Amino acid sequence: MSGSDLFTGTLDILILRTAQGTPLHGYAIGKAIRDASEGVLTVDEGALYPALHRLERKGLLESAWGQTDTGRRAKFYRVTQAGSAHLESESARWSEFSGAVSAVLEGLGS
Amino acid sequence: MAGWPFRRTPPPGALRGSTDDDIREELQLYLELRTEELVGEGWSPEEARREALARFGDPRDVARRTRRETGRTTRDDGGRWLNMGQLVQDLRYALRTFRRNPGFTAMAVLTLAIALAGNTAIFSVLDSAVLRALPFPDADRLVFVNGYQLQDGQQAVRMASIPEFRDWKERSRAIDPMVAVDLSGVTLAAGGQAERLSAEMVGEGYFALLGGTALIGRTFTQEEYATPDGYPVVVLSHALWQRSFGGDPSVIGRTLDLNEHTVGVIGVMSADFVGVNLDVDLWFPMGMISLVAPVQLLESRGSRFLPVVGRLAPGVDLERAQAEMDAIATDLQALHPDENQDRFAQVQSFREGFLGTTGSLLWVLFGAGALLLVIASANVANLLLVRANARTLELVVRRAVGAQSGRVATQLLTESLVLAGLGGAVGLVLATLGLRALAPLIPPSVLPGYAEVAMSPRAFGFTLLVLTAVGLFAGLVPAVASARRDVATALRAGNRAVRGGRGRAQQVFVVTQVGLALLLLVGAGLLTRSFRAQLTVDPGLEMDGVWAFRLQPPRERYPDAASLRRLTEELIARVGALPGVGSVAVSSDFPFRGGSSGAYIAREDDPQTRIRYHRHSVSPGYFRNLGVELLDGRFLEDSDDETSRGVAIVTQAFVDRVFPEGSGGVGRSIWVGNPADPDNLAEIVGVVENVRYRNLTQSMLEEQNSPDVFFSIRQIPSRNLEVSFRVAGAAPAVATALRETVRALDPGVPLFSLASLRELYRAQTATPRLAAFLMGLFSVLALSLACVGIYGVLAFTVGQRGPEIALRRALGARAGDVARSVVFDGVRLATAGMLVGGGAALLGGRVLRSLLFEVEATDVATFTVVSTAMLVVAIAAAAVPAWRASRKAPADVLGAE
Repeated sequence: MSGSDLFTGTLDILILRTAQGTPLHGYAIGKAIRDASEGVLTVDEGALYPALHRLERKGLLESAWGQTDTGRRAKFYRVTQAGSAHLESESARWSEFSGAVSAVLEGLGS
Repeated sequence: MAGWPFRRTPPPGALRGSTDDDIREELQLYLELRTEELVGEGWSPEEARREALARFGDPRDVARRTRRETGRTTRDDGGRWLNMGQLVQDLRYALRTFRRNPGFTAMAVLTLAIALAGNTAIFSVLDSAVLRALPFPDADRLVFVNGYQLQDGQQAVRMASIPEFRDWKERSRAIDPMVAVDLSGVTLAAGGQAERLSAEMVGEGYFALLGGTALIGRTFTQEEYATPDGYPVVVLSHALWQRSFGGDPSVIGRTLDLNEHTVGVIGVMSADFVGVNLDVDLWFPMGMISLVAPVQLLESRGSRFLPVVGRLAPGVDLERAQAEMDAIATDLQALHPDENQDRFAQVQSFREGFLGTTGSLLWVLFGAGALLLVIASANVANLLLVRANARTLELVVRRAVGAQSGRVATQLLTESLVLAGLGGAVGLVLATLGLRALAPLIPPSVLPGYAEVAMSPRAFGFTLLVLTAVGLFAGLVPAVASARRDVATALRAGNRAVRGGRGRAQQVFVVTQVGLALLLLVGAGLLTRSFRAQLTVDPGLEMDGVWAFRLQPPRERYPDAASLRRLTEELIARVGALPGVGSVAVSSDFPFRGGSSGAYIAREDDPQTRIRYHRHSVSPGYFRNLGVELLDGRFLEDSDDETSRGVAIVTQAFVDRVFPEGSGGVGRSIWVGNPADPDNLAEIVGVVENVRYRNLTQSMLEEQNSPDVFFSIRQIPSRNLEVSFRVAGAAPAVATALRETVRALDPGVPLFSLASLRELYRAQTATPRLAAFLMGLFSVLALSLACVGIYGVLAFTVGQRGPEIALRRALGARAGDVARSVVFDGVRLATAGMLVGGGAALLGGRVLRSLLFEVEATDVATFTVVSTAMLVVAIAAAAVPAWRASRKAPADVLGAE
């Protein structure tokens, strides 16, 4: 993996982790990431969608069209088995990163 | 999960993933929900929509990138630089950032605007005066040939005599053609009114040399140039033709009453031809010299008044032409040992001749403006660095979530370019207003006549170019810094590790800024001292309340000394009778207005040794009017007239030069003409103090080389009359009465050039005043910008050294120690900068030399004062960060870690 893939991969991992439980539509995934990062991810929110579709194409996510709570049509995503495996195999990197990211997030409070 | 109708996405490349509509619908939903979220936070629906879009980025761009991910290609196009969607997004983002940080933005924009305005203003003047082509075709090859006399190693410029010019022209191959041209004022009488016009007497080849063609009629023939008093013809300028003859083509063939001569109009020049004196009303051929001067001048080798112009022959440069003129001068010295002793000629380019020291002044100011711009750019780059720093997290996270380093760099560059653009826009407005305000303040003596002080399209283009350069420079530094940053390290280390390197970049900026500011300060200091030195030159004149106007009685009506004498008496009597006018004097010339003629004089006991002097003819009231002090003997009196013995008043410098034996001057006699005729002997009856009549920067040595001698205007009449008078209040109040009086005296002799002595004196100091003022302005701006720079870097280091300071405090360091160490940092930076700047000033001071008067370019006092000022400012800039550091409590800072 090249350096740039590594960080593109960071978003991938955040998405995979967020979409691991209940299937979520794109907005919910984005909001979850934003909330978790306490609003640090303020720009380029659109970058989420290329990532979702990339993960879907790689078979790490699967999707289905459904309805939101308020009855709007939305595309829901959830992690596939391959996705879980990928997440697991990247867990070493992930923990390294999440540690760094949470250090950052804690730093924000001060 | 089981109940969900999930379908497996087809394997990569098997089928098209989502349709465009699917993607659009997804994005649409996101934006709607995001907008609702923001409305929930209290935004207005409209603003919330805009904000959601801004944070999302251009949906079309996102859709395109998403579509690409569903297809076969896996490339992310986030790294592409020229992407309109991204550009718009970056611009929007930049503008939004600026709106959120109005203080930062205003600071940066204003800094840039002021520096850009200064540059644009100076450039537009430089462009119009120096860079743009002179208003003549092939002007780079045009030259002045200035005859001069070498005297004690000094050049005294005294033009050429007509026979001398003929000799030059005949011998020179390097300058071809060579043409004589002399400007004089003439009086055009029509319908009982007289008008002063400027006329050039021109020699053969003049119009072809300057590329002038007749619009109607023709220019002069060889015969008209060569025949003395043969063909009384003139050619009119386009402007005069329009102004006085309504552009009527039938003017050709009409006759005019010019200086009491009847002359025929044979042509009108095309509108773009202005003559070498730039604002000429009409031309007449050299053969008609009697229109303005005695025809004998055509053959008088010793009467030197003629400016000469020419064109360098193909393949000849200035040096070769000069070498040839030197050889010709040597020949002529051998041929005419009496008249041409120590005579030379200097070949000078048109540009140099028109500009004089103004050219170097403009280049110096342009250089100063450029330095100011570098200082301002460094400040903006610094501000952006600090901000990029504050945004470390944002930038790092943006990259972590997929923005490639190129994107972040582009964003930073976009921001700085937008800043530069805003600065440029404000700067252009400032420059336009500034030039409009400045134009009337620049006295005409400073700039050549063809120069315009106004914004030009070229200056506009120049500004665009410069602001792009500034934008790229100011943005590139933080952009490169951000692109280099290793995101993983940044995340692991929080913020700390990244900062050290950029602190160094800032320090380099600050040292550079201080250095450049010092350079400007030294320049301003030197120019100011030089200007003040000129102001303190005592011209020896009582300047307030003295006014003067000029008259040139025509030869025809005032052919002899007696008629001129009568006119002079009438003027003194009638002007003196006007209410409000005090004492009146008439003289052949007036201080700071030129016109005194040079001649030779000899001691009675040594008629062979000729001494050059400046000759003035004055009426008795002249010295009292100007407040010139009498040192010995007496002033002139009414009784010093044509019936009495010739008398002279001399200056102290004259006595020192001519009678070095120390016996004084009063009672001695001097030869003012041919020693064979005892009538040419004049007795010195009075000695007056030394007065600077010509220019303030003239040294005492020059004064001694060509001292001033005053004769009684009754004994030596003059055709060039300066009527000076004292008046309570402003002369314009009596201007109408003056004109009436002169018209009543003789309607054919118009009054012109009414000016106060104070005005004429001011014009003398106009260039140094302007130079000192503008350099002062630039250096004060530079000093404040350097101050901001020092403050910025110290405030930043104090922030960064927080833990260290806290530790020191915890270990017992006192607040004062901490403050001192911060101030010391500031002084250290300033000193480094000052060493660099001082060294540069010592080396570069030479460029100022031609502008300095009685001040060395390495003036110790200036360097000392300026360095002290810089140091004080550095300490002041350090004060706030130092105070802040000293207030840091140990616990605060450690806790924050």
